Amino acid sequence: MIARSASLVSVALALFAAPAAAQQAAAVIAIPPLTTPDEKATGAGSPAAVAWQASQLIASDLRTTAELVPVGPDQKDYYSYPEVTAPTFSRWRAKGAKFVLTGFVRSRPDGRLTVGCYVYDTLKGTELGRTGFVVAPEDWRRAAHKCSGIAYTAATGAPGIFDTRIAYVAESGPPSARVKRIAIMDGDGNNQSFVTAGDTIVLTPRLSPKAENLAFVSYVDGQANVRIVNLTSNEQRPLVAGSGGMSFAPRFAPDGRRIVFSMQAGANTDIYVADSSGGPAQRLTAAPGIDTDPSFSPDGSRIAFESDRSGNQQIYTMAADGTQQRRISFGGGWYAAPVWSPDGEWIAFARRIPGAGSRIGVMKPDGSGEKLLTDDALDEGPSWAASGHELIFQRAGPDGRPALYRVTLAGGDARKVVTPQDASDPDWSGVVD
Amino acid sequence: MRRALFLFALVSSAASAQFPGLSRRPSVPPPPVPLLMGIDGLRAEFVAQSGSDKVFFGGDSAVLTAPARATLAAQAQWLRRHPEIIVRIEGHADASDTRDHALAVAARRAEEVRDYLVLLGVPAAQLSTVSWGKERIAVIGASQDALALNRRAVTVLVR
Repeated sequence: MIARSASLVSVALALFAAPAAAQQAAAVIAIPPLTTPDEKATGAGSPAAVAWQASQLIASDLRTTAELVPVGPDQKDYYSYPEVTAPTFSRWRAKGAKFVLTGFVRSRPDGRLTVGCYVYDTLKGTELGRTGFVVAPEDWRRAAHKCSGIAYTAATGAPGIFDTRIAYVAESGPPSARVKRIAIMDGDGNNQSFVTAGDTIVLTPRLSPKAENLAFVSYVDGQANVRIVNLTSNEQRPLVAGSGGMSFAPRFAPDGRRIVFSMQAGANTDIYVADSSGGPAQRLTAAPGIDTDPSFSPDGSRIAFESDRSGNQQIYTMAADGTQQRRISFGGGWYAAPVWSPDGEWIAFARRIPGAGSRIGVMKPDGSGEKLLTDDALDEGPSWAASGHELIFQRAGPDGRPALYRVTLAGGDARKVVTPQDASDPDWSGVVD
Repeated sequence: MRRALFLFALVSSAASAQFPGLSRRPSVPPPPVPLLMGIDGLRAEFVAQSGSDKVFFGGDSAVLTAPARATLAAQAQWLRRHPEIIVRIEGHADASDTRDHALAVAARRAEEVRDYLVLLGVPAAQLSTVSWGKERIAVIGASQDALALNRRAVTVLVR
């Protein structure tokens, strides 16, 4: 927790020190503390305590973004309950804030809390968004993340990344006998939990869009195979029953009902699609070579994938039925692990450059506009934030130990994501309902 | 380092391939009934007489090199004498490969080795394959030597 807040402080400083162009992009949002009509009750879980904690969490959420600079919460900016929907705009304008977020926490007779948030444009004096939730006192974090989400959406037009989940592989033990477990945490690093026990090697967890189900690769049958687990019931089953070759590289379709993945037969590996609830797999590619890492476009109409049919790994796209296959990457080195952005604008990838490691980059779905976002490291496995403005990926250190990092599409240094153990194969969900 | 290792594999396996008697000392004759040997003893004998239980590959490649073929020829000779032994060929990739491509290319390496052993007369029923991708790195490090030593297929005697 200490490490986390320390890294957040350094991020804020970096923003202030950034060049003028970057400063223009980041707008100030005032976060005065949420108010409450129930001032008498105090102590943990009381409306007043939750209001203060939620205000701090909202500011801390927004501080992790490149687009917003939160100011507050400050106790002396307290306002009354009626002022929630009638803030004094001139006061926030004078402080240089383009946006202000107000809100309240109110206790209900059933012991739960109502949390409401509003975002305003201080220059125009107009409301840009609002959200409200009834939550158990211990679930206040999710309500605060939703408040952060409407502020981010009001400022950028993109979905907030705060009420999301990140699945990854937690690694421990010596290199020769690595213990790997599927882990899941909230988008802000809280609520760590394990999905698998660590008794068998597991790889590449992939969340369904709303983080209800998880596909991953397990060696429980003696070879790599895709398994599906329902995160509520914990029920687990293989995606394809009794296949000969291994199956791997699963990824959900945007509708959450289908899964694209690779299946190996002899020296050949092709891409298949199957219903996530069972049924036969349909083959989409047939070229000799290794076709893998398929990823749907957000409208479900196309699939990006990687193939070495030309001699080395390059990125291709095809229609969802396997037709219209075409190569889109032509730079030097190898291109791997394409992932389509949630807004459909970009395809992220890992590019291996001989003698220069492996870097994360993006290109347009037609192959134009390539830019590399990281440099000089062993980076791989990009996964998009729901906003489409940011990626999470895996970076291996000189000793081979992996950790998770985030980098924004706008560029700048990648920031480490703190995890309790070494971490690899991150996958970031969409916004949870 | 890599070249030296290849050379060693080539020399020792070529010797045992052409003159199988040379690798056995006259004072220690091979056991007449191999099944009485424990699996550890069999593995030691397999490695000693084949030169190595491993073959190595070029970057991003599953092509068998000349030293690899020589090692596999010696392995095949031993395996043909031991049809009772069940063998698993384990393919591996180096850490510079990406996760999923590593799985596929390591599977391809294991398949190449299996096919070559079958070509040399080892019954296919004796052989199975598995890909470990880059999940079981043998030599840590990003040096070219370390990467080369991890791009391997290991012939594992199961029982």
